[in-house]
Amino acid sequence: MKPAPFDYVAPTSVEEALEQLDRSGTDATILAGGQTLMPLLALRMSTPSVIVDINRIDALKGIARTGEGMRIAPVTRQNEALASEPLAAALPTVTRAIGHVGHFQTRNRGTVGGSIALGEPAAELPATAVALGAEIEVHSLRRGERRIAAEHLYVGPYATTVEPDELVTAIHFPQWPADSIVIFREVARRPGDFALVGLVGAIAISDGAVAQAGFAWFGMGPTPMKAWQAESALFGEKLSDIDPRAIAELALDETDPFDDHSATADYRRTVGRRIFTRTLSEALDLRKAA
Amino acid sequence: MSEHEITVTVNGQRRQAKVEARTTLGDFLRSQLGYTGLHLACEHGVCGACTLIVDGRAVRSCLMFAVQVDGSDVRTVEGVAEADGTLSPVQQAMRECHALQCGFCTPGVVMTLTSLTEGDQKPDADTLVKAMSGHLCRCTGYQGIRKAINQLTGVPVAEAGEHA
Amino acid sequence: MSEPIGTAARYVGQRVLRKEDLRLLTGRGSFIDDIAVPGMLYAAFVRSEIARGKILSMDLSQSRALKGVYAVLSAEDLDPFNVVLSNMHLSFAEVPTRPLSSGDVRYVGDPLAIVIAESRYIAEDAAALAVIEYEPEDPLITIADGMSDRLVHPGTKSNLAQEIQSPPNDQIDGIFESAAHVVRATFKHQRVAQCTMEARGVVSTPNGEGELQVHIGCQSTHVFAAAIGLAFNMPHTKIRVLAKDVGGGFGLKAQPWREEMAAIGASLLLKRPVKWVEDRLEALTTSNACREQEMTIGMAFDADAKLLALDCDYHSNNGAFPHMPDAGMPIMMFMTGPYRPMSFRFRGRAWYTNTIGLGGYRAPWAMEAFTREALFDKAARQIGIDPVEIRRRNLLTAGELPATTPLGIPLLDITPIEVLDKLLEKVDVAAFRAEQAAARKQGRYLGLGIASYIEPTAMTGMMMLNSDVAEIRIDPTGKVTANMSTHSQGHGIETTHAQIIADTLGVPIEDVSIFQEDSTRVGIGPGAAGSRQAVIAGGAAIRASKLLAEKIKAIAAHALNANPDDITIEDGEVRIAGVEEMTRTVKDIAQLAYGEPHRLPPGMEMGLEAKSRYAPPTFATHATASHACIVEVDADTGIVEILRWVSSEDCGIQINPAIVEGQIAGGLAQAIGSVLLEEFSFDDRANPTAVTFKDYLLPAISDVPVFEYTHISTPSQTEGGFRGVGEGGIIIGVPTLVNAVADAMAPFGELPPDLPLTPTKLLKMMMENEPA
Repeated sequence: MKPAPFDYVAPTSVEEALEQLDRSGTDATILAGGQTLMPLLALRMSTPSVIVDINRIDALKGIARTGEGMRIAPVTRQNEALASEPLAAALPTVTRAIGHVGHFQTRNRGTVGGSIALGEPAAELPATAVALGAEIEVHSLRRGERRIAAEHLYVGPYATTVEPDELVTAIHFPQWPADSIVIFREVARRPGDFALVGLVGAIAISDGAVAQAGFAWFGMGPTPMKAWQAESALFGEKLSDIDPRAIAELALDETDPFDDHSATADYRRTVGRRIFTRTLSEALDLRKAA
Repeated sequence: MSEHEITVTVNGQRRQAKVEARTTLGDFLRSQLGYTGLHLACEHGVCGACTLIVDGRAVRSCLMFAVQVDGSDVRTVEGVAEADGTLSPVQQAMRECHALQCGFCTPGVVMTLTSLTEGDQKPDADTLVKAMSGHLCRCTGYQGIRKAINQLTGVPVAEAGEHA
Repeated sequence: MSEPIGTAARYVGQRVLRKEDLRLLTGRGSFIDDIAVPGMLYAAFVRSEIARGKILSMDLSQSRALKGVYAVLSAEDLDPFNVVLSNMHLSFAEVPTRPLSSGDVRYVGDPLAIVIAESRYIAEDAAALAVIEYEPEDPLITIADGMSDRLVHPGTKSNLAQEIQSPPNDQIDGIFESAAHVVRATFKHQRVAQCTMEARGVVSTPNGEGELQVHIGCQSTHVFAAAIGLAFNMPHTKIRVLAKDVGGGFGLKAQPWREEMAAIGASLLLKRPVKWVEDRLEALTTSNACREQEMTIGMAFDADAKLLALDCDYHSNNGAFPHMPDAGMPIMMFMTGPYRPMSFRFRGRAWYTNTIGLGGYRAPWAMEAFTREALFDKAARQIGIDPVEIRRRNLLTAGELPATTPLGIPLLDITPIEVLDKLLEKVDVAAFRAEQAAARKQGRYLGLGIASYIEPTAMTGMMMLNSDVAEIRIDPTGKVTANMSTHSQGHGIETTHAQIIADTLGVPIEDVSIFQEDSTRVGIGPGAAGSRQAVIAGGAAIRASKLLAEKIKAIAAHALNANPDDITIEDGEVRIAGVEEMTRTVKDIAQLAYGEPHRLPPGMEMGLEAKSRYAPPTFATHATASHACIVEVDADTGIVEILRWVSSEDCGIQINPAIVEGQIAGGLAQAIGSVLLEEFSFDDRANPTAVTFKDYLLPAISDVPVFEYTHISTPSQTEGGFRGVGEGGIIIGVPTLVNAVADAMAPFGELPPDLPLTPTKLLKMMMENEPA
């Protein structure tokens, strides 16, 4: 399983990278952590003429607070992000999600941006970005900067609205209040496997009622599936009035699971309903007890 | 296809080499530099046999290109034992606990456990067991590996069974 | 019967650290891809993209023209060798199996050409440039497909690769008709892949006319030398097969197969060393896989739940080119297990299909224990008695031995009741049942599975399997070298052989070196197959060591004027009782033996060399076991968690308990994989669909619990008293786990025994049925 031949470039600045992408367009593939790209190259399912390695671009690394929330540069290693205390304090949902990504070894190399830019439907980070309302900042040589809301980023399995000449330069997560409820549950055969079905999100509370809710499914459709109806239904609801079962039904309505090697669509729907109900009600119980 | 000159430190030794762009790190170390202790068992980043330590972190060598370690520090299983052959604590624990049979997945396991236990790190057993989820072993059922982890983290190693 | 070692032993019985580990832990093992020979070229294959059809044209010109390609050979190019593959018994298949196909293809991945190039990278580039035109046909994929009239192999009468039947039994139907209780079920075991962590591989180096050196992943250097010799019409004595470290065999590597032979043929044709290393994609899709079997079995019981009759109808999917046809012969032979003989009938059929051929796997007959033990549990539920009790009523007791199975196999010294009792000392069934009942009230589903079996280890009766030889010498330095006809792919026998030899001779184990990696070094043996090596080669090692020990004593007695009966050898020292100052070392005696022939007893040959070839006295040396496991099936997700697993084994004298437990554990982990995780599946065009480890799920550390072991030790009748233990874990592991899940799911009805038991299947069962 050896990759087909290609030319390799490792720019050291964003400008250099953009120039290369502008030159090569769809013939180029960006290499970040490589944990997903490399197997595709080995299987010759991907045969780019040029590989643009962005691991040497320092400007693409790091986590910082901004006015809006948190800015995660794309080539931040997943394990570094996992260990980041500022991130854990500001966005515990993100930290929780990263802990489930792959394995310890793949997180040493895999990047936050890489996972988000790839758009694997059963992956944790794309769904987290969608659930929390993140914005993906991209740059191209010809058009400069633009931002894509996560909910508009994914159009199909491994398919995003990032253009071939664009580079992801940051993921901006909006600030959620410090005491927001963290929602996360993943059903997988084993740690590191593709999720059979997963759920991620957050609920912001103000005066005992829901100020904002964000949920997204993974493994429940061709992309992360935002549970709009469930989010809207929760808005303004007092915690004690929430019926998790009913919210779960609304959330399930937004899904479009398929049969595959790991599980059937029916399985996903059944288990999805159960884990949404259970996770939401356990999270609410915990908060009410506090 | 592009070719690249690289300088990489392997097990403490500075090496210079010319590599094709698509040569994986695993193949480079095995074929060009002779570090055959590193094993390739899947070449798609799931089984962990090819795990080594790059710039202090345990990573899969089948998921990197050789050209990417220009300027880096790389350690393979050949560099773990002392120069006089004394096994490292990880290797010794694995030997004492019968943590291997055919030995093909073993170098990767040694490198993951080494990366998490060396220096003044004091991981708990649970952390090491979780890290082992990135390794596939077809021979041992992971029994000896669990015992070795207990030994390395100070958990009492119960005698496995009685025999009449 | 020979005295078992063990009482005064220093090494046998101890958890001696393995000799192999020093090199394997430090990355100094020597696996196939570690071998580099000057001038070596690398191979990759052009393979069929369809499962069945004609090759209308194959254009290899672009492949050949690629820079760095040395040659691209098709079946035609290898024709002069007229290679036909044989199996581990050195017999040929009904349908000649050749290295490369031509004219038509019979499974996806069927090898059509071999590319020889300067690197594997380039070889793969070149393979991708082959242009092939096919005329596709609809493939036969399943066992049911195999039963059709359309032939997989033109020229055969049907797709029946083999058919067997037990001797006629005109009583059995009547017994079923009048029985108090009758239970039936159809069991399905999915196709799985052996998944040795080191896939197949070969480096073939032709060394002048008629001399060939082959490094190859194998389970026996001797079988491989013989098979290669047969294939290429070369005396196998001109072939040197080498394999120092092999990363797992499990039955896959019992004989060289198509790709290995193509690479060897290429090396002979091109007069260049050729390396082929199978990658994981190939290993998961085009390496002979195993276990796709169905068996309908019926049990008839009397009113006391005594088993009166067992009726079996077996089918297996042999693929296109099986290593050996499998209509269930060993299953039929071992189906009745450790139970009181009953009326028995077995019919087995093996079917060709357009899929990768059937290969060996650990315990090819494991289906017998799976189906029998699972049906016992179903019977217990149906009749309304405890699964332990139904076994107690039917297992052979000590007083009933020796017994003979319905097919005439002697059961001499099995201990099924004893191991079951020992198991139940560790597993409080009553307490579990209480816990289970309480959990069910809370909507939680716990289950307990128990299974009993016997394993016919170290079988004799077939030439290749009968015996092993140990050739041991002590050279003038006093160190011991043993050349053994065995082979290890992780078994640890380098250590167990050394333990036996060190104990029998009386020398430190550090002074014993074991070699088994070279077909030219010692006489033939079949290597790893049938849980045999520790038993049979262990016996040979004991006998050869005894011969040497006697010689040392005789020399010492003569030279030192002592009585041989007063001489002992301990720790490398030759001691005379009561005369401490006359102590000599083994080295001293060796120096004498080689250097001072005049001081030897009259007529004694110089040197310290001995050989013994040993065959066990019985057809089979049975190991016995009972296992229990406790599981919880998650009511939300259908995911099975194994909470506890206890193994109760009788494998005779244990040479090294750590190695024994390792073999059991490895087999149990594979059983867990078969029951819950692994599935080698096809789409409707017979394309394999689990092509990476992301889809083909091998058990990871989180899937395998910590196993508990308890042993009893009934010495066998073999030299040393050992019993084999290599395959048992997978045999008993499958029914133990299946029974536990079936027990957990019992409130929802009878679990369809259709492996793997995936979360989807279990959840569906829970949703479609109200819990009782």
